[in-house]
Amino acid sequence: MQQRRQLNEIAVNRELLNGALDTPAWWKWAVIGLASVVIMGLVVFGFQTNRGLGVTGLSRPVFWGAYITTFVFWVGISHAGIMISAILRLTQAEWRRPVTRAAELLTVFSLLTALSFPLIHAGRPWRIIYWILPYDYARGIWPNIRSPLIWDPVAIGTYLTGSTLFLYVALLPDLAVLRDRTVGWRHAFYTMLALGWRGNPRQWKLQTVSGILLSALMLPIFVSVHSIVSWDFAVTPGVEGWNSTIFAPYFVIGAIHSGVSAVVTMMALMRWLWKWDNFIRPEHFDALARLLIVVGTAWFGFTLVEILFSLYTLEGSELAFRDVQAFQWPWSFFFVSFMMLAFFIPVPMWLFKSVRNSIPLMFWTSIMVNIGMWLERFLIIVPALSRKTPFVYTYGEYSPSMVEFAMMAWSLAFVGMNMLLFARFFPLVPLFESKESQIFTMDMKIGRATIPAVLREQE
Amino acid sequence: MVTQQDSPYNWGMVVDVDRCTGCQACVIACQAENNVPLNTENLYKEQRTYSWIRVERYWEGEFPDVKARFIPIMCQHCGNAPCEPVCPVFATYHNNEGLNVQVYNRCVGTRYCAIGCPYNVRFFNYWEPVWPEALRNQLNPDVTIRSRGIMEKCSFCIQRIRRAERVARRDDRLVADGEIQTACTQACPTNALTFGNLKDPDSKVSRMSKDRRAYKLLDEKIGTDPNVIYLARVEEKAEAVHG
Amino acid sequence: MASRAVPTHDDRPTFQEAATDLVSRPAAATGNTLARISLVLGALLILGIVGFVLKIMDVGLNDRSAWGYYVAMVSFMLTTAGGAPMISIAPVLAKANWVRPVMRISQMFSVVGILTAIMSIPLIFILPPLVEDGVWRRSIWFGSPPYTPHLWNTVAIFGLIFIGLALLWASSIPDLAAMRENETGWRQRWARRLAPNFIGTNSQWKSIRMRMGVLSAFYFLFLIFTHILFASDYIHAMVAGYKDAIFPMYHALTSLQAGVASVILASWAIRRWGHLERYIGLEQIWSLAKLELALSLFWFYFFFSAFIIFWYSRTPQTEKIIELFDQGPYLWAFLGTLVFIFILPMWTLMWNFIRVTINGPALIAVFILFGTLLDRIRLSVGAWSTEGINDTFLQVVPNTVWPDLWDIFMFLGMFSGAALLFIGITRFLPVLSIWEIQQSRLISKPGKFMRGNVLIVGKPD
Repeated sequence: MQQRRQLNEIAVNRELLNGALDTPAWWKWAVIGLASVVIMGLVVFGFQTNRGLGVTGLSRPVFWGAYITTFVFWVGISHAGIMISAILRLTQAEWRRPVTRAAELLTVFSLLTALSFPLIHAGRPWRIIYWILPYDYARGIWPNIRSPLIWDPVAIGTYLTGSTLFLYVALLPDLAVLRDRTVGWRHAFYTMLALGWRGNPRQWKLQTVSGILLSALMLPIFVSVHSIVSWDFAVTPGVEGWNSTIFAPYFVIGAIHSGVSAVVTMMALMRWLWKWDNFIRPEHFDALARLLIVVGTAWFGFTLVEILFSLYTLEGSELAFRDVQAFQWPWSFFFVSFMMLAFFIPVPMWLFKSVRNSIPLMFWTSIMVNIGMWLERFLIIVPALSRKTPFVYTYGEYSPSMVEFAMMAWSLAFVGMNMLLFARFFPLVPLFESKESQIFTMDMKIGRATIPAVLREQE
Repeated sequence: MVTQQDSPYNWGMVVDVDRCTGCQACVIACQAENNVPLNTENLYKEQRTYSWIRVERYWEGEFPDVKARFIPIMCQHCGNAPCEPVCPVFATYHNNEGLNVQVYNRCVGTRYCAIGCPYNVRFFNYWEPVWPEALRNQLNPDVTIRSRGIMEKCSFCIQRIRRAERVARRDDRLVADGEIQTACTQACPTNALTFGNLKDPDSKVSRMSKDRRAYKLLDEKIGTDPNVIYLARVEEKAEAVHG
Repeated sequence: MASRAVPTHDDRPTFQEAATDLVSRPAAATGNTLARISLVLGALLILGIVGFVLKIMDVGLNDRSAWGYYVAMVSFMLTTAGGAPMISIAPVLAKANWVRPVMRISQMFSVVGILTAIMSIPLIFILPPLVEDGVWRRSIWFGSPPYTPHLWNTVAIFGLIFIGLALLWASSIPDLAAMRENETGWRQRWARRLAPNFIGTNSQWKSIRMRMGVLSAFYFLFLIFTHILFASDYIHAMVAGYKDAIFPMYHALTSLQAGVASVILASWAIRRWGHLERYIGLEQIWSLAKLELALSLFWFYFFFSAFIIFWYSRTPQTEKIIELFDQGPYLWAFLGTLVFIFILPMWTLMWNFIRVTINGPALIAVFILFGTLLDRIRLSVGAWSTEGINDTFLQVVPNTVWPDLWDIFMFLGMFSGAALLFIGITRFLPVLSIWEIQQSRLISKPGKFMRGNVLIVGKPD
């Protein structure tokens, strides 16, 4: 039980607004660095659009590769936000409070990034408007709603809208605090955004109710988004390794695994960069690591069942695909790395309390999980395509080109840059949640023992 | 939604594997007829070659008792095509003549249809296709040249089908059996390929498709219901060559 | 901050009251009604056994389709009685305080599991071996010896029951010690035998907690393991050409759902007829109902994940499978499942005025158990009535198999046997865990915050 510092509300404001009001010196250089990567990515995308997708490493039959992998990866990361803020809110886990904002933010930005990948991936991105908006009313040709690629933007768009609303509703009280502490154009900016928040009981009630309602409404979307992404793969009877019924829950649990890990990474970064040691405490890492043990083990169970049942029929192309995936160089190396990084190294480590409470170790294990989860998607997508059908004549190979690596770097930099830009104007740790958490958590004395306790409303 | 009218045609093909010698004449004929880009050395290295019809070659048995087996594979024009429902923009759909058609202009290049196709007969234009100056005048004016970023595949030489149908409509009759020859059937020296109307019970393809050697690729497993019917190779020890 | 919370009047039962209510009183008041009910249940159980014997004499063990309903019964028992102890495991991980009063009830279902284990023995003789006449059938065992599934399924089911009983014993040692001190006669002797030297030292408590933790973890892993094996070998592998990776997980999930329903129902009955309103309150039923709502939604999600792939693929095989389980001979059971396990629970438990009551969730629990039974019938009977187990593909969708008289006897016997075992164990142990109630009283206390009543809940590591 670590000592918890009780801060008064003024101190909370001062510490948490240090990102928005007193910008640290490194901020400018970090943003410039990330922005240059983002610009590089846009240039590369222009080059690819100009020359055609030949500049990637894609081939026949491996028509999908690193772009789709990265798309799935970012959709997976986006599951962090709702997992942390909605599910833990509904299950009344007190420790969620300081990380909710950052997790939701990660959701929003990773969804934006994910949404751009189908665009980058398409052969004629300038015609993508055909996809999302119904066009050509005169001839009665509408987008094909039977296509999972139509379900995708619908699900992701809904999720993005919901997450943005969720983020905004939770931001309102803090915007009012910022409005009262700024002058000039920033004051006007925050005044506009704060929607006249005064903090009276009715406003608080509305804010709480809308938060709970949004949490409950977001849950089905949360589950459906990655399910639909998994159905992109699972509905194709022609690809042996994909046509599996377990894909939807398997992808969702994997997404939670990688999303929560990404939140751990981000919490460690926030603690180091903005020195919010009083708010992001080892006990939060501890709680997240416990959650990750459960999620990671469940995900591993799904992985085993998935492999078991894909071998069930013992048919040619399925065996060929599993053979490539697990036993042929370089895929064997990726497969072993994926297993080690996503499960066998981090999860046993988290069983130890000393690891759970050590911030550097949590940082590195969470990064491991995300590298492993990227490899997982890659190992599902590419070997399955390269050994797609029973026609051994058309087996193919694939390796990503420099252009694809550049776009992956772009996606990382894009999310990072957006997070930093957000932190410049808004607090990354919610002020009001932190204050509430100070009231709602306390120490309880039982006999000689002191245990942490929380306040619950009684029905 | 525009409803499709009934058509008297259901175009199909019969491939007699027993007759195929693997000479690749069909591949060349198709390449010339349909303005399929040239398969350069680079395309081979990148594994991005185009061949709307390909002759797959398999080895059977161990050396020295080894036999070469050939099977020509083109778009199967499935009645229940896995490529069709997945296209978000209806760039590929089934028309009322049993053809699985590709609308080049509508395609945005998601390559989802190629993923769905279990026969790997869909081809993506990774590069803008170029022909040497000498071949510019060889291009078929009836066939669109596909730009980069879109899918293409065997169309059963739809330009020839359309021309024959136009002539027949002008003469107020149906297209006769054998009137349409696709480029590959025309070029096949052993008559291994036959094209025709499967809806006409007296057409050559209909009669051949009732042969007891007839089978369809992957139909039992995936239920694609192809319009291409294969006739199995006749062996002393009779067994299907493939599929 | 704790000083801010002013303690209000605490009307929760004290340790002495709990000990009196739960240990001494039930022994004195073993009513005649219960004895009479037990007599009827015993008669029905014997009827079930008679039905089983007659069925063997009637059809023998080789006709697979005749035993579909028996497999459904075992599957149902494994689903409900096997899943119920999870209620004492999963919420503890989330440090939930509300679950403490009903922990014993959920663990007592392990005793009902004894019936599952006994009923699973005949299955060994009914399940065909992996290889028949030199032809291998598809299974998760690939090339293992022909009787591998028989062995491992039995090991799994017996192991699960054994771990469950061990968990029940480990967690009731402090209460048994209380019985040892406060009771007389056979109950004291029994308690003395099971908890001979527990006096509540620190190390004894530590060891109990440790045992509970380890056994809980093992129980969970074994439950999933058992369901994967049972669902794969007794249902999935019986249908040629059926390949459904989520199916074992679906089976395990329904187990959690039916387990929650069983616990709700048992808690409701014990509260009502055991007059324990002070211990099992709205909070318990309400929280269980919330879980039930979530699991009902999950049921639909797991079902739909499989359904959409089969429906979208529309290959000859998936069409046959959909026809077999959902559209064709078992349409009635499928619709019943959908209504009772998903639509009704969702549309009722969604609303607070039903969820936050005592009787509402109990009624829904009955529905869910009924829906689970229909689901098991649809899957097991459907799977066991198919022909051509060694084929690559399912060729013909069979007709509906209806239960015969012996099956109905066995159903009656199963339900009454389960009830009898549950009633029986309530004679031997306090139905609620006294020490858990006491601990819950210790680590939570009512308080005031601003103008509202709150509960301050400790979260020990």
